[in-house]
Amino acid sequence: MKLFHRVILTLALGLLPIMALWSILFYYSMVNEINDETDDALEDYAELIMRRVLTGRPLPAPNNGSNNSYTVTPVDEDYLANNPAIIFYDEKVYIPEKEETEPARVLKTVFCDAEGQYYEIKVATPTFERSDLLRNVAYHIIGLYIIIMLTIFVVVSLVYYYNMRPLYRLLEWFDKYRPGAKKAAVPDSSSVVEFRKLSHAAQQAVERAEYYFEQQKQFIGNASHELQTPLAIIGTRIEWLVNNTPLEEKQLEELLKIQRSLARLVRLNRTLLLLSKIENGQFPESTDADLASIMHESVEMYNEIYCDRNITCNISLPEKYIMHMNESLASTLINNLLKNSFLHNVQDGKVQITAYGKVLKIANSGNRALDASRIFERFYHDGNPDSTGLGLALVNSICRHYDIKIEYSFENSMHCFTLKFP
Amino acid sequence: MKILIIEDDSSLREIISRGLRDEGYVVETAGNFSQADDKIAGYSYDCILLDIMLPDGNGLRLLEHIKSLKKSDHVIIISARDSLDDKVTGLDLGADDYLAKPFYMAELSARIKSVLRRSANNGGNKLTAGNITLDLHSRRVEVDGEELTLLKKEFDILLYFMQRPNHIVDKAMLAEAVWGDHADAADNFDFVYAQVKNLRKRLDVSGASVTIKAVYGFGYKLTETAQ
Repeated sequence: MKLFHRVILTLALGLLPIMALWSILFYYSMVNEINDETDDALEDYAELIMRRVLTGRPLPAPNNGSNNSYTVTPVDEDYLANNPAIIFYDEKVYIPEKEETEPARVLKTVFCDAEGQYYEIKVATPTFERSDLLRNVAYHIIGLYIIIMLTIFVVVSLVYYYNMRPLYRLLEWFDKYRPGAKKAAVPDSSSVVEFRKLSHAAQQAVERAEYYFEQQKQFIGNASHELQTPLAIIGTRIEWLVNNTPLEEKQLEELLKIQRSLARLVRLNRTLLLLSKIENGQFPESTDADLASIMHESVEMYNEIYCDRNITCNISLPEKYIMHMNESLASTLINNLLKNSFLHNVQDGKVQITAYGKVLKIANSGNRALDASRIFERFYHDGNPDSTGLGLALVNSICRHYDIKIEYSFENSMHCFTLKFP
Repeated sequence: MKILIIEDDSSLREIISRGLRDEGYVVETAGNFSQADDKIAGYSYDCILLDIMLPDGNGLRLLEHIKSLKKSDHVIIISARDSLDDKVTGLDLGADDYLAKPFYMAELSARIKSVLRRSANNGGNKLTAGNITLDLHSRRVEVDGEELTLLKKEFDILLYFMQRPNHIVDKAMLAEAVWGDHADAADNFDFVYAQVKNLRKRLDVSGASVTIKAVYGFGYKLTETAQ
C-alpha cells in the first residue's frame, strides 16, 4: 500500500466515527430544540383552554384551521393520585380535517375548578415526522462526508506530493542504485530537517555498503589469485607422478581422480576470477556479437556431450541475432544458459530456444520448479554435485553488467530463462 | 638448451625445474627480482619463464630490462593474474607467450618447445610424432607426406596428444581441453571415447607409426607403434 493511499484511508476511517457521533448529537439536539418550542406553545394553548373553561367563556372550535386539538375530561382524585401532574409525550393523533393520522406532541395535565372538580386536559399539536428528520439528517451528513473527503483528497494530495518530493526523489534514486556501480550521490536538496537526516543516513549506509562491496570484491579477487600458484604446484606434481613413476592401475586411477577434482577447483577459481573481473568492469570492449552463431555452435557441442540423453533441440532464431556486447562474455552467457538447459534436462527431453525482438527465451524440460529467488545466488546448488553453483551467478553478473533483464519461470514442465535486452 | 625459471614460490620452482630437467633441459632458477636480474645480466638463456608477480619487483620491468639488453632470450610469462591487460602489456614488451596459472606441466613444455621451434625454423609451427607432421597454422596433418583429412574435433584431439607424447591423458582432461570447460558436468565420457576411436581408426588406416593407446579404463597415451 502506498503511503498516500494509507494517509487518505486513515483520514477517511478516522473521520467516519467523528462524523457519525456528530450527526447523532446534531439529531438529538435538533429534536430537543423542536420539542422545547412545541412544548412552550402547548403550555400556552393549554393555559388558554383552562382559562376559558374556568371563566366559562366559549372554547375554540375543534376545527379552527390550526390542526391543534384538545380534550377536557373530568377526573376523580384517585386518577389524580395515580398520574403525574403534567406530562409531555409524542403520539399519533387522528386529524379529522386531514383525515389522517399524524405524529403529534401531546401535553396532559390536570386542573381544578371552583367547585373542586378535577379535569384532565389533553392538548395536541402536530409535529415533525421523526423518521423523516432522521433520514434527512443522515442524507446531509453523508453528502457532507463525501464533500469533505473529496476536499481532503484534493488538498492532501497537493500538500502531500508537494512536501514529499524529496522522499520520492530519494526512492527513485534507490530504485536505480546498484552496489558497485558508481552512481550520483544521494539527492540532498531538501530544507526539511527530517528529509535531510534521511538522505544523510542513506548516504552513510550506501557508503558503508560500497565499502564492504569493494572489500568483498577485492577479497575474492585476491584470494583467487593467491590460489593460482598452489593449484599450479599440485597439478604439476600430480602430473609428474603420473608420468614419471611406475604406478599400479589403482594408484593411477586415484591420481587421476585427484587431478579431476583439482581441475574442478581450478575451474571454480577461474569462474570466481571471471566474476570479479565482470564486477570490476574489466570487459570494456564491446563489439557486435552474433548470439545466433554462438548458440548454434554451443548447441552442436552440447548435443555431442549429452548425446546419450537424446535431447531434441528446437531453435527458432533469426539468421543473425546481434547484440552489442563483449564477445567472450556473450559466449559465456549463452554457453552457461545452454549448459544448464542440457544438464538439468530429462531423458528424451526438449530444449527450446526462441527469440522475438529483444527477448530471448531458453526453455528446457524439467521435473519441478526451482527456487526463483535463489537460483542466481553464488553456490546455490540444486542437489547436483557436479555443478559449481556459479554458472547462473555468472549469467546474472553478465546480465547486470549489460542491463539485461533475466527472469526464471517454470511453465508447462519447462524451466524458462527469459532475457530482455535493453 | 638452457632455461631460467624466475618464480618466487619455491615449491613451484622446484617441480617445474624437475619436470624440465627430465625432458633434458639445463635449468637454472631465480627466486626474486634481484637474483633474476643478476642471472640475466651475467648469462644468456634459450628461454626464460617469468613470473610477473615477484616480491621485490614487477616481472614486467625485468622483461623490459631483458629487451633493453638486446638479448635474444625468449620469454614466456607465467602469471597468476589471468588478466588481459597483463597479457597485452607482456606481449607488447616482447614476451613470446603468456601462460596463466595454474597450468599443466605438459602445457608449459609444449609452449617452450613451440617457442624454441619458432626461433629455430623462423615461424614454422609444426609438431611431429613418428611419421606424422601436424601444422598448427594450416591445420594440416600429414602421414609420411600424404595428407590426412581429419574432422575438427579429431584434429584438436590429435594436437592435444602430440603436445604431450608419452604422457598419460585423463579422459576428463581431454574432454575439457577439446570440448571446453563446459564438458565438466557430463554424465559420462562416451563422446570422448567415440571421437578417440574414430581418430585411432583414421591413423591406423593411413599407416601412421603412432597410435593412441588406452591406459586402463580412464586414460589415453600417444605412443609409437613398434614396426
